[in-house]
Parts: sequence; structure tokens; C-alpha cells
Amino acid sequence: MKFLAIILLLLALVLEISITTIPFVFLVLLCLTVVLRENWLFLLAFIFGLLFDLLSFKTLGVSGVFLTAFMFLVLLYQSKFEITTGYFVLIASFVGSLLFLLLQGYTQVILIQALVSSIIALLLFKSIQKFNKPLEDISR
Amino acid sequence: MRKSNFTSYFLVFFILSLLFVGISKTGFLNPLDALLKDIFSPVQTLTYGAFNRITGFGQNSEIQLLKNQNLSLAQKLVDQSKLIGDNKALRDQFQTASPKSPGLIPADVVGAPGFIPGLSFPEFLILNRGADDGVKTGDAVVYRNNLVGEVTQVSANLSGVTLLTNSSSLFTAKTLDTQAQGVVKGQGGGGVILDNVVLSESLKKDDLVLTNGNINAQNSGFPPDLTVGKIISVSKNPSDLFQKADIQPLIDLKSLEKVFVVVNYR
Repeated sequence: MKFLAIILLLLALVLEISITTIPFVFLVLLCLTVVLRENWLFLLAFIFGLLFDLLSFKTLGVSGVFLTAFMFLVLLYQSKFEITTGYFVLIASFVGSLLFLLLQGYTQVILIQALVSSIIALLLFKSIQKFNKPLEDISR
Repeated sequence: MRKSNFTSYFLVFFILSLLFVGISKTGFLNPLDALLKDIFSPVQTLTYGAFNRITGFGQNSEIQLLKNQNLSLAQKLVDQSKLIGDNKALRDQFQTASPKSPGLIPADVVGAPGFIPGLSFPEFLILNRGADDGVKTGDAVVYRNNLVGEVTQVSANLSGVTLLTNSSSLFTAKTLDTQAQGVVKGQGGGGVILDNVVLSESLKKDDLVLTNGNINAQNSGFPPDLTVGKIISVSKNPSDLFQKADIQPLIDLKSLEKVFVVVNYR
């Protein structure tokens, strides 16, 4: 699963620095966090946050701070709510995308972008969940 | 996952990220920055180019040809107007205008993040030329004498360009026919307006808007007479202090693949 996570994040990074403002790196990390709940995801958030900042001319570390903090908040919620649900992913990705876009200084149609981001996150979440299930069965 | 377990991981990487924020201000990470940009630049170019091909697929080649012809004609119109002005100055004062030949660096667009690739206007461009090629902050970016934007961020091998349509874009300009002076303001989402034009001046539809020129002592800034776009509508209200006009750039900023950075204007 680690390999798949890295591939997904690399793909998201390339898309985000070349052609779109939709926060793909954030969305992939959020979905992976919700499904896998693994500690090594913090390392990936840190590395890909740095890469994103480097390649998009942002202050180094800013995205890393946001990504790790948001992941931490998501994991904190797991003790209070069931986070492995579509509703949670929709709401978390909408709020997170909105904040991330504002942090990056984007101003164009950010509400619509956040809405589209949350739909993408939901699809991504369902796909990762489906893909992860057989792997879990094998490991058992 | 236990709370204490992930809290320690979070704290380590959160603090590391904060440290990087501090270190990046010192310039200590510049070599790493250059190396990573070198690695990712070809991938960015490839991705951006591929999406441009996909979104441009099916576009009528005749329309593209007419667009190019329109650009050439607009260029000729500006040149001719300049020649008339120069000729008049020669006749009147027996002076020749010094030839102005800007030093241009060709650059490939390697990134243009916008909401929907190929459809939305990008917020900025990323070019594959940087400080090592002589690009500096404030340099103008052009395409066929049309203003594209201004270099606002520079690293060793890449530079970031704020498009003239960006909401932070602001510079003085004039119209070609009526010589009305005003301020060009980007509106975001592809919109540009010529604002702060006094009511006594005349604005007319289809007139071209040109840069006034604001080259500074460091030899960066916008050269004069670059085409910003053409006026598509004028809004003039007698009770207002100023009139304004909507401008449409003559070039398609969404699908630029090659541009030129003006690095040494003389």
C-alpha cells in the first residue's frame, strides 16, 4: 500500500504543479489517512508538502504545516466519530480544500473548486477503500 | 491507532515543517531547490504539453490561422502607428529615435495551474528559465509583442509569471488611437479592465491598449508599446470621476507553450 500511496501522491503532485489548482496532494493524503490511519503518512505529508512548495514557488514548509496539522485533526476525530464514511470525507475535503486554496493565495471560484475537490475526494476514497480491502484480507 | 502514537509523529513532522519555513528564508536550501526543479521540470513540461494537445484537439485550424493573422495585423498596426510618430518627430525636430531592441530569452511554459485544465484561466505561469539564464523579478513576459505578464518569482532554473489577467496585476497603459491614459487592472478569471481614465479622454471600442512602459534603473519592468489587448466595451457614466473599459487580450493565455522574457531592454 505504501508503494501505491507514493505513486498516487507523485501523480497528484505533477497534476497540481502543471495544470490545475485543485489540491490533489491534499485530497490523496486525506483519503489515505481516513482509510489507512498509518503514522508513515505524516512523513509523506511532510515530503510531498515540501516538494509542492518547491515546485510552485511557495514558502518551503507551509504546505507541510497545513497537511500534517489537518491529518492530525482528522485522526483526532476518529475517537469521537466514525471517520471512514463518505460524509466525513466530503465535509473534511471541502473544508480542507477551501483552507488550502486560501493558503495558496488563490481567489478564483474557490467555493466551486472546493466542491469539485470534495467530489473527487469521495471517488478517491471509495477507490482506495475498495483497493485496500483485498489487501487487508490477504494480510489476515 | 492510539492517540499518543500519532501525536508524536505529528509533532515531529509539524516542527520539521516549521523549521523549513524558517530555513527557506535564509537561502540555505537553494541548491536542493535547483536540483529538484531540474528533476521535475521535464515532467511538468510533458504534462502541460500533453494537456494542451488534448484540450486543443478538435480546434478548427482555420480559426487558429485567422487568430494568428489577426495578431500579425494588430502588430503591424502598432508598428505603423509608431513609425508615423517617429517620422513626425524626425520631420519636426530632425532627430532620430534610438532603435529599441529588447533582449529576449525564449522560455517554455512548464506549468499553468488553473481550476479546469485548458478551460479555466491559469493564475500564473511557470517558465523553464530562471536566475541562471538572467531572468529577474519584474521582467516583462511577452508573446509576439503582446504582454503576457510579469516575472514575480525567480529560482535558479524556473520562474513564476503573474499573468496580466491576475487580480494582483496593475500597470499604466494608453490606447493606440485616442492616446487615453489609464490603469490596467487584472480581474482574475481572464478579465482585464482599463480603469481610471478621465472622462474628458475618449475611449472607443476595438481600440488597442498598449503599455506605457515602466522600465526601472535595474532594467526590469514593462517596455513601452506592448499590446495588452483590445477594448471590447466602454462604461462611461457622467456622474463618475473616471470611465473604464473591458479589454480582451489578443492572445490565448490558456494555451501558451512558448513565451519570451524581456531581460535587457535598451
